[in-house]
Amino acid sequence: MNPLNYLVLFLVFPGFLFSGTMGLLVGWVDRKITARLQWRIGPPWYQNFVDIMKLFYKETLVPEGASKWVFFSMPLISMAGATLVSTILLVSNGPAHGGFIGDLIVVVYLLVIPSIALMLGGFASGNPLASLGSSREMKLVLAYELPFLLALFVVIMKTGYTIRLGQIIAWQDAHSFVIASASGAISFFVMIFSIQAKLGFIPFDMAEAETEIVSGPYIEYSGRALAMFKIAKAILFFAMPILLITLYLGGIKFTVDGMLWNVLEYLLILLIVIVIKNTNPRVRIDQAMRFFWRLPTLLAILAVVLACLGL
Amino acid sequence: MNMDEFLKNIGNRFGDRVLNINKKSEKRAYIDIYPKDVTEFVRYIFKDLSCRFDTASGVDNFDTLEILYHFSHDPSGITVSLRAILSDKQDPHIDTITNITKSAWWIERELHELFGIEFDGNSDLRPLLLPDDWPKGVYPLRKDFQPPKRDSRKE
Amino acid sequence: MGLKEKILTKSLYVFHLSSGSCNNCDIEIIDCLTPRYDIERFGMVLVGSIKHADVLLCTGSANRLTVPRIKALYEQMPKPGFVVAFGACGASRGLFKDSYNTGKPLDEIIPVDMYIPGCPPRPEAIMAGLLKLIGKLTAKPSLRWR
Repeated sequence: MNPLNYLVLFLVFPGFLFSGTMGLLVGWVDRKITARLQWRIGPPWYQNFVDIMKLFYKETLVPEGASKWVFFSMPLISMAGATLVSTILLVSNGPAHGGFIGDLIVVVYLLVIPSIALMLGGFASGNPLASLGSSREMKLVLAYELPFLLALFVVIMKTGYTIRLGQIIAWQDAHSFVIASASGAISFFVMIFSIQAKLGFIPFDMAEAETEIVSGPYIEYSGRALAMFKIAKAILFFAMPILLITLYLGGIKFTVDGMLWNVLEYLLILLIVIVIKNTNPRVRIDQAMRFFWRLPTLLAILAVVLACLGL
Repeated sequence: MNMDEFLKNIGNRFGDRVLNINKKSEKRAYIDIYPKDVTEFVRYIFKDLSCRFDTASGVDNFDTLEILYHFSHDPSGITVSLRAILSDKQDPHIDTITNITKSAWWIERELHELFGIEFDGNSDLRPLLLPDDWPKGVYPLRKDFQPPKRDSRKE
Repeated sequence: MGLKEKILTKSLYVFHLSSGSCNNCDIEIIDCLTPRYDIERFGMVLVGSIKHADVLLCTGSANRLTVPRIKALYEQMPKPGFVVAFGACGASRGLFKDSYNTGKPLDEIIPVDMYIPGCPPRPEAIMAGLLKLIGKLTAKPSLRWR
């Protein structure tokens, strides 16, 4: 494939434009369901798009004590990381099962990049509240990466020790879904918690707590830089259920009833995330670390042991 | 304890250093004292009768100033106020009660900057509510205070 | 009306500032987010940081101590931005007109775009005021002040 093909894949479909649009729509689904759960009406479907467009029209203010290069490059890096994750996931799920050996490891590395970019952006803002939010984000990443990787290891073990997303999907086509086994189901359950923390949703949104530390690392961002952070978050929100579907539920099928099942699974995962988001209070960072290093880690170790035994 | 027991305790302890007792109802009473006795009264009420210090308020009667210290005894729901009348309006002094309870710091700062009352022994009487460029010697809550004209539009 | 104004009015982010209020107005602002009045269906959200905000909703009667802070916050709001003076205190200092600590009413400190009268204003009045602000922005150019 010549470079122009790769560029179209990255920028248009299934890359930036497609993931961005779908991500903003999925964000709207989140806001609408949250509003309905609170017996309100909620915003119209184009609300997220209008928010991003309005942010592009506002002026961008840079604080005096900020380091300008880091401050302005972090939103771009965050967007790029999120877009790459989405592109690799959707290309691996495509009919040709594209991708390369080791792309699962690449996805795991790329998933940390939006968090690191947010952290560095917060530190570069020159604001003590932003530094506080960034340090909380650092501790949160330490907390949830451990059960995330252990749960991922279960998937790798069950699908024949492969680290290629295309082969994981192919194994699930030939045998059963990973979630249909005991260790797979426990590992899926642990992944849901890690997804909640990675996306920065309640109960783990103490890094960007809206009223407590005045939006944490986002406090000094305005205008276009803020819009880019929001787009990155939307693309990540779109890509995480696709990662779960790829690893546990057999990937995206391209037949009519296969696609319908996929949409149903996607909406179900979204619903789980949104309902957890709406029915829980925010926890402190030390409570989050204690939680992640006890219950999900123990469950993930149990799942690994069960996978070794073949269950 | 109820109000009668409380007032009897105060009467037994202090005898005739109490100027007057005004029992308004079963839950509310005012005890008039000399300003120089305020620390002893507060120590007795706060520590021995285990009351809670609510707040302090200041009043400007036209030729004297008066401070009321409000204490509440939570288990029985009674509130007792100590009235200390400062007769020298040019240079009012009273002992601080922050040695007994630290919760009186800020109310003494407020009384100092709004009334001009000096609290002997309180080393930290910075302004609390007024801006930094407020002229010294002008005390807003005294009766002879003239409110300033509206600030000019140009500032 | 331009596309810019139309987009801006569809998603207003509101920053709530209390410059020495009695907190009655602040409670009524939170009321607007409740299911009965639901201001999010118009796209308005309460944001935490002034740099994300489009509307500075100022309650309280502008104490002398808060005047430099109000000015600093107004300058940190990314333009185009608007100021809404909330309640009787915001409009004219209300019953604190002759107080020792309120020197000027709010509209002599920062330029105000909309007044919402009331002490405190009912949530219906708050929503009517914010919607009138939207109407003012999308009106014909001769009716706009800026």
